[in-house]
Amino acid sequence: MAVTELAKKSSIKTIMNGIWRDHPIFSMLLGICSALAVSNRVENAIAMGAGVTFVLLATAVLISLLRFLIPRRVRMITYMLIVASFVIIVDRFLKAFYPVISESIGPYVGLIITNCIIMGRAEAFYIQNNTLQSILDSLANGFGYTYTLVSIAVVREILGFGTLMGIKVMPEGWTNWVVMSMAPGAFFLISIFIWITRTLAKMESE
Amino acid sequence: MKEKILMIVFVLLLGSILTGILVAVNFYTSPLIEKNRVIKLKTSVLKAVSIPFSEDEVEKVFAENIRVKGSDENIYYLTASEEVAFPFSGPGLWGPITGILAMHADLSSIKGITIMHQEETPGLGSRIAEKEYLDIFNNKKFAPDLIAVGAGKSSRENEIDTITGATMSSNAFIIILNIEYKEYRSFIQGD
Repeated sequence: MAVTELAKKSSIKTIMNGIWRDHPIFSMLLGICSALAVSNRVENAIAMGAGVTFVLLATAVLISLLRFLIPRRVRMITYMLIVASFVIIVDRFLKAFYPVISESIGPYVGLIITNCIIMGRAEAFYIQNNTLQSILDSLANGFGYTYTLVSIAVVREILGFGTLMGIKVMPEGWTNWVVMSMAPGAFFLISIFIWITRTLAKMESE
Repeated sequence: MKEKILMIVFVLLLGSILTGILVAVNFYTSPLIEKNRVIKLKTSVLKAVSIPFSEDEVEKVFAENIRVKGSDENIYYLTASEEVAFPFSGPGLWGPITGILAMHADLSSIKGITIMHQEETPGLGSRIAEKEYLDIFNNKKFAPDLIAVGAGKSSRENEIDTITGATMSSNAFIIILNIEYKEYRSFIQGD
């Protein structure tokens, strides 16, 4: 009884860590480059979030299953092999079934390989925790990453393109804020996002 | 020693298994990706010569209305009314621009243009790919070149307005059209 209680408690902790306390973007500051680049449209943000979540999940399952087999000294190579393979699968999948999205997020799918969230979680969590906990952690982190991208993309798309999910929402005569669709807009918004969330989470920077 | 060999065996084994999976994925998706590419090309050709079509009937409408001519390097498309469309590509300001240029049967005035790929600045240079901008090329003449002029200043049949804030992208685009047009005109007339 006590054991299941404990497991349940640590599962909830794992999930809460991923989506709030150890949030990949505002707490660990990982995966910032892709968050800056792909948050210009909501559609792209969702596709990127789903891609990263899938790769995280697959990596979590494989690494936590193999965690007693992986020789310690080649564990980085192992992560790279596994992550790279799944990223290529995501890239081919998008190209085959969602060519429009694939075109607009272009090289950033390939760059999921270097997304620090995946390497970071693999090294910090999946290599030393059981499969169930790893799956929960990957989903929580994937969700944390996705909701950040989407919420930034909502603001950037509305201000930068006057649309939301490609549908016009701004009134006729609205002038697009070009800066929002470019990199500087992403920097402003991510900083504001990190500021707000860190204040809410009462994280003090040393 | 034994440990080292095990390590190498592990990496090799994992690498081979994952490679095997990727080969399978590639085998399965390649035809789909190729199909998407062909559909995109056909859609662009149909749009450039302004033949109406619905999304699901691209292949059928294309087959009925367009004849494919030329060689692999210099492929071009003919409509029933002898309008000619051909692909163009060249360097934009930030990255390659590719698309389809369609000419009226006289081979000197423009019927329509579609852009398939561009990497210009979002919101500024990327407007070269918007229909509103591409429409100002319609019925313009290469006489002998298209000439870029400031926004709103075009008066002659070979003058094209540039986009305010995206002069470099507009100029690059017009230069690509001039170069590709010349190359294709001599090729098509000789064919």
